[in-house]
Amino acid sequence: MWNLFVSLFINILLWIYNIIGQNFGVAIILFTILIRIVTWPLNAQQMKGAKAMQDLQNDKEWQAIQKKYAKDREKLAQEQMRIYRERGINPFGSCLPTLIQFPILIALYQSIIRALAATPLDLLKLSQSINPNFLDVANLIPLNSKFLWMNLGQPEPYYILAIIVAATTYIQSKLTLPPATNPNDQSAAMGQSMAITMPLMLGWFALTFPSGLSVYFITSNLLGIIQYAAQGKANWSNLLPKSMRKE
Amino acid sequence: MKKILLLTLVLFGALLLSACGGTVRGTTWPGLAADETTAYLADLSHVYGINIQDGAEVWRFSDPNDNKAQFYATPVLTSDGLVIVGSAGSKHILYALDPHDLITNGDFKNPAVKWTFTGAGGAWVAAPLIVEDKLFAPNADGNLYVLDLSDGQSQKQPIATIELGGRLWAQPVTDGERIYVTSLDHRVHAVNLADYAIAWQADIAAAIPGAPALGPDGRLYVGSLASKLEQFDPETGAHQSVLDAQYWLWSTPVFDGDTLYFGDLKGNFYSFDAANNKLNWSIQPDGAITANAILQNDHLLLATESGNLYAIGKDGKTLWFEAVGGKIYTTPVVAGDLILVAPLETDFYLAALDSNGRQVWTFPPKK
Repeated sequence: MWNLFVSLFINILLWIYNIIGQNFGVAIILFTILIRIVTWPLNAQQMKGAKAMQDLQNDKEWQAIQKKYAKDREKLAQEQMRIYRERGINPFGSCLPTLIQFPILIALYQSIIRALAATPLDLLKLSQSINPNFLDVANLIPLNSKFLWMNLGQPEPYYILAIIVAATTYIQSKLTLPPATNPNDQSAAMGQSMAITMPLMLGWFALTFPSGLSVYFITSNLLGIIQYAAQGKANWSNLLPKSMRKE
Repeated sequence: MKKILLLTLVLFGALLLSACGGTVRGTTWPGLAADETTAYLADLSHVYGINIQDGAEVWRFSDPNDNKAQFYATPVLTSDGLVIVGSAGSKHILYALDPHDLITNGDFKNPAVKWTFTGAGGAWVAAPLIVEDKLFAPNADGNLYVLDLSDGQSQKQPIATIELGGRLWAQPVTDGERIYVTSLDHRVHAVNLADYAIAWQADIAAAIPGAPALGPDGRLYVGSLASKLEQFDPETGAHQSVLDAQYWLWSTPVFDGDTLYFGDLKGNFYSFDAANNKLNWSIQPDGAITANAILQNDHLLLATESGNLYAIGKDGKTLWFEAVGGKIYTTPVVAGDLILVAPLETDFYLAALDSNGRQVWTFPPKK
């Protein structure tokens, strides 16, 4: 099943690579755009879920049960679930779309490695992943792994991509953070924490894994920023230092 | 709760990403060679010397200059007993090891390094070819390096660097006049042995991961990822396709008189009459075939991706098969009465079978 998923990615990637004149970097960028379009409803759901959870933190009934059952965690959980049910909120609704990114990320990583076929085993796996009736892959191999200054099958050695990946991830995280109006708002605190953790982690990925994956991260982040901005939900003031923000 | 879930999944994702491809030890299949007493196995971060009588480790070597180095090119033995093997990793060093000069290092013995060549820009995937006192070493950087084995230098400098282009993954062959090299960038190259000039280059419009084969008729045969067997005139490079296979060809054809035997990546195994350019028969044992067949007396030995070793008669009938285990991509080696097989995805790195396919010993390296 997993192999089928990776094979699907490889076939689409190679098809794009073939029709755009055999540039693997551009193929990754276009493929990322395709993935963002396909996962658009999920991202929209994520934003909706995050907004609903944020609103809940400022809700009087919600705050009241937090106080009332502060020492009875079981009862508090029951009451929270009741509110979720009554208002049609999925408490994990804002996490799930993020989690779906992981299988995509891993499949893309495997697709890039397999498609660039740096070792005989990768080339063999590629032969077992492609549909020869769909693509004349024999003629495409070896793929052109050069893109700008990078070898897409190798980590980028100058740390430039790692910095851009970390920066765009940070900017995207910050833009999507709603202003925290409640000092006890747990989801805002979590958002702040993730806004630091995720850029560091993806930056480390960019240092460690093939640069083709970094191209995916950067494209995906930029598209995310554009998506939020286009919907008028980007919170640009979050990029300013606290002292300069208009609260 | 949500925070813990997210962080756990982030870490899990990182772990998964780090472990991608982790079902196989190393990054590809090992290289294997042997002489009368010792098997030489290039696998993962080590090259091993293994006693073929009992499968005991005699020595091991890891790259002292590159902790990311991996070895998977087939080791080559020189007439004076050195083992030449190249590394893949970050430094791409070609080593000449002396297994007669062992240095004790804790529980292990390491061979002395007699010389190195550090000038290559890519991984060593192909085994080099020795012609008299010259070493022709094709590298994934697209260069064919010519080294003088008799110059006594410990830091080799190439006497010629022939820029062929593409990734050179297969051991060249020679007919004494020219050396023939295949490339992943679709070309077959002929280089004059006398002056190292390129005699001809031919593009067959498909990658060539396997080595070329020279037939007794002097013609050159090359399988490609276009699923075609190409026949070349070694003088001019003129070529024609003589067989459309079922799928991509990787293994190097093996000759028995005018008959060629080779497999494809869909697991078809072919017998081809080169004198009349016609297919004798084809069978499909099981699993992709990247390993070359081995001609042994009246039959052929064939290893498949499914981890089986077959003895196949020249009429295409299976005489016996043995489930070695794992996945076999490396060409087995016959050493004395034993058949040595180096599978992937098994607990052992090397297995020795007798001539009837019964397992004699296995080699799992000591930790």
